[in-house]
Amino acid sequence: MNSSMIRVILGHVLKIEAAFLLLPCLIALIYREEEGYIYLCVAGGCALFGAFMSSIKKPKDTALYLKEGCVATALSWILLSLFGALPFCITKEIPSYVDSLFETISGFTTTGASILTDVEKLSYTSLFWRSFTHWIGGMGVLVFLLAVIPLSGGSNINLMRAESPGPSVGKLVPKIKSSARILYVIYFIMTTAEMGFLMLGGMNPFHAVTLSLGTAGTGGFGVLNSSIASYSPYCKWVITVFMILFGVNFNAFYFILIGKVKKFFEVEEVRWYLGIIAAAILLISINVYSIYGNVAATVQDTAFQVASIITTTGYSTADFNTWPMFSKVILVMLMFIGACAGSTGGGIKVSRIVIMLKTVKKELNNYSHPKSIKKIMFEKKALEHEVLRAINVYLITFIIIFTTSFTLISLENHDFTTTFTAVAATINNIGPGLEMVGPTGNFAFWGDFSKIILMLDMLAGRLELFPLLILFSPKVLKELLYDNLKLSVSNK
Amino acid sequence: MFGKKKETGEGLNIIIVGGGKVGTTLVEQLAQEGHDITIIDHDSKVVEGITNTYDAMGIIGNGASYSTQVEAGIENADLFIAVTNSDELNLLCCTVAKRAGNLAAIARVRTPDYSNEIDYFIEKLGLAMIINPDLVSSRVIAKILTLPMALDVTSFSHGRVNLVRIEIPENNPLCDKTIAQVGREGLIQQTVICAIERDGKVFIPSGDFIIRKGDILSFAASLRESRNFLKKLGFKTGQVKTCIIVGGGRAGYYAAELLIRSGIDVRIIEIDKSRCEKLSELLPDATIIHGDGTSEELLKEEGIEDVGAFIPLTGIDEENILLSLHAKKVSKAKVITRLTRNNFMEVVSGLDLGSVLYPKYITSEAIIAYVRAKNNTKGCNIETLYHMFDSRAEAIEFKIEQPGPVVDVPLSKLSLKKDLLIAYINRNGKIIIPKGQDTIKVGDMVMIVTIHKGFRDVQDILA
Repeated sequence: MNSSMIRVILGHVLKIEAAFLLLPCLIALIYREEEGYIYLCVAGGCALFGAFMSSIKKPKDTALYLKEGCVATALSWILLSLFGALPFCITKEIPSYVDSLFETISGFTTTGASILTDVEKLSYTSLFWRSFTHWIGGMGVLVFLLAVIPLSGGSNINLMRAESPGPSVGKLVPKIKSSARILYVIYFIMTTAEMGFLMLGGMNPFHAVTLSLGTAGTGGFGVLNSSIASYSPYCKWVITVFMILFGVNFNAFYFILIGKVKKFFEVEEVRWYLGIIAAAILLISINVYSIYGNVAATVQDTAFQVASIITTTGYSTADFNTWPMFSKVILVMLMFIGACAGSTGGGIKVSRIVIMLKTVKKELNNYSHPKSIKKIMFEKKALEHEVLRAINVYLITFIIIFTTSFTLISLENHDFTTTFTAVAATINNIGPGLEMVGPTGNFAFWGDFSKIILMLDMLAGRLELFPLLILFSPKVLKELLYDNLKLSVSNK
Repeated sequence: MFGKKKETGEGLNIIIVGGGKVGTTLVEQLAQEGHDITIIDHDSKVVEGITNTYDAMGIIGNGASYSTQVEAGIENADLFIAVTNSDELNLLCCTVAKRAGNLAAIARVRTPDYSNEIDYFIEKLGLAMIINPDLVSSRVIAKILTLPMALDVTSFSHGRVNLVRIEIPENNPLCDKTIAQVGREGLIQQTVICAIERDGKVFIPSGDFIIRKGDILSFAASLRESRNFLKKLGFKTGQVKTCIIVGGGRAGYYAAELLIRSGIDVRIIEIDKSRCEKLSELLPDATIIHGDGTSEELLKEEGIEDVGAFIPLTGIDEENILLSLHAKKVSKAKVITRLTRNNFMEVVSGLDLGSVLYPKYITSEAIIAYVRAKNNTKGCNIETLYHMFDSRAEAIEFKIEQPGPVVDVPLSKLSLKKDLLIAYINRNGKIIIPKGQDTIKVGDMVMIVTIHKGFRDVQDILA
């Protein structure tokens, strides 16, 4: 395995994190908060460590095969979280390191599950960093790395492949660097647009910035204990619309960018996604109408909750724990469906679900015509057998990881709904679940062991399972350890 | 950045149809030079293999279909290259592409049926270039056989200068002398030693470089001068009289035709009866032998031991290598080996195969030379680009069109990059072998030999 190249990538990732950590320092400067010094120190530490890692020994071979790509990605995310958690812990705003790490991983993986009982006590600096981790994690730090750092060779597509969600990851334009840049340009434009719209609605600029960062990454960390409930209806609608937009496949936005607006609506996944949202809003609205007794309020709250759950953002304007069972079940289903592939959202992804439904239909058809041959079409193209196989295996792996985590955290003996939705909300990168982990609750009551399990679930969900599994497979771990031992010996 | 047409110098948007040997080589080399490459192939495995290794975008589909071309971004493409297996498909791809976008199109056409119609294609279909690797490699074969002591010969500046490659035998007058010493002894006058290969490494020699036996030496000189130089070194000149070609495919046909034209007696051994009949129609002056060219008995019967040149041109590289090794063993014939793949290059370069030709490099060189020239519409142009020593070194001809830092400065005052050499200056057809006090002038054509890659402008030679 090419572990020296992996080390170089990790070094670059840390340097980028150091640069990102300077933004909270700016906020500290504006609000004259002392926490800024701590962020500055952590940034310095990151930069030094990163520079050290990427320069100790130049790699002879710059090729990154799929395995290396996955391992580098998984390690990058773990390292990113380990360092990103330091400021929370050092400022004593979250005294326990495990809790800080949970909060940070929840941020980077755009989950938005919090262990804080009182968010409003945090400093502005830390609130900003919390929301900013969503933005970084939403599009992915390695995609950012590909956009800014010149890495030679074409095999870097494997980094993008390991980090970007979806059954098949392609490029928008021939050069990977330009592709990564286009993605970030779209991401940046849309985030600033949301900030603008929110500020137009009279929202406090700090709130507008942090909430936009949280929406863009489909994260879900708010700055108030009541999440979004206390903002004006206009702001709620703006956030609803942007949540839905950030759950759309970014390849579709590229069509708009190059002036092919019609093609945007021809993307099959986007059509399904919008259809599912519309259906869910309709069904839940009918179901909860009796609670509100007012069409405008019903549709507003339903649309917000549906958008927030399907895009796996996790903001809330209503306590859906108190909603009827039917509505809750639909929301839990939306948790698993998730957003589009190639968006910043999590979950299983609309395209996978649609393709699975199509295979079921094909299988049924095979029962009545056993010798019939029918290719499954998606986005007007026949799907390769390999893609179908990969999706099947993905679902099976998803179920295995889900049940294992479910079993492990059930040791804490909480009620079924809490335990089930805690795993569902973390592995799908949503944030709030139901009952004790519902919109008004949090994850503080879990023990450290369960928190670690849930952290791994969040990472597995964000990186789409396999990179993390490959990293933790004994063979790869052994290779990594062996290579690094060899390095330390040769350095002496 | 968003796929729009680009200004010059930023790299071109290039669409390549066909991910075979030539297609892959093109993707590799063009992506390295910073162009935006999209590859189209109908085989998803091929596309995946290429996009996993090189920084290129892949489209699965039929390259001649308009919608596939649109998907690949034909509107913004600058160049379209069709190198699938089928000539007709390549021509169709280019015809459709020419209508779909404002671009230059290059097609690979190999069948002899079309070889006389290339001018027609270029003119009527508006193609920028037609490449026929078999024909081009046959031209190389013919050149080698007319200067048989050379490993290979390439001509530049419309044939005024040749780049000749020779191996230095034991007790040669050049052995164990520095380049400067050789110059003082008058062995070199109107000749430049451009590059030397030793133990698989390529050197651009400076004055204190010592030549050893077994070195492979590449020098530039006019045709007459190169004959003189070779005579001084004690090589026998004169072209071969007879030649055996094994395999009567396209490559065999083109080679035979050219060799017969320069007065060489050609024998073709071909295993397929009907192909033999077809060949005897096409090449009435050649001797066509129906039989298995890999049979030692038959080769002996056809006089491999006394033949002037032996060229295995079967479709299988391994067979060609074995035949060459056999010929080297049993006869003194000049052997040329044509290899379509470049696997195990280290092993192959260690074998005694005579001159080795790689048609896919010949093809990609021609295209890359065109692409580079197209990408440099202003300033100093690349006129010709030639890969030496299995593309480990490059010979580049620059046209000087405007004043710049290298113009009108004595060469000894220029601080040139290491491993680089100015081979000659072509001033209005007169070849100048440069000395320290010579200068480059506007309008000159300058030939550079270097092991650096990716030179685009003559200014790149400065350190």
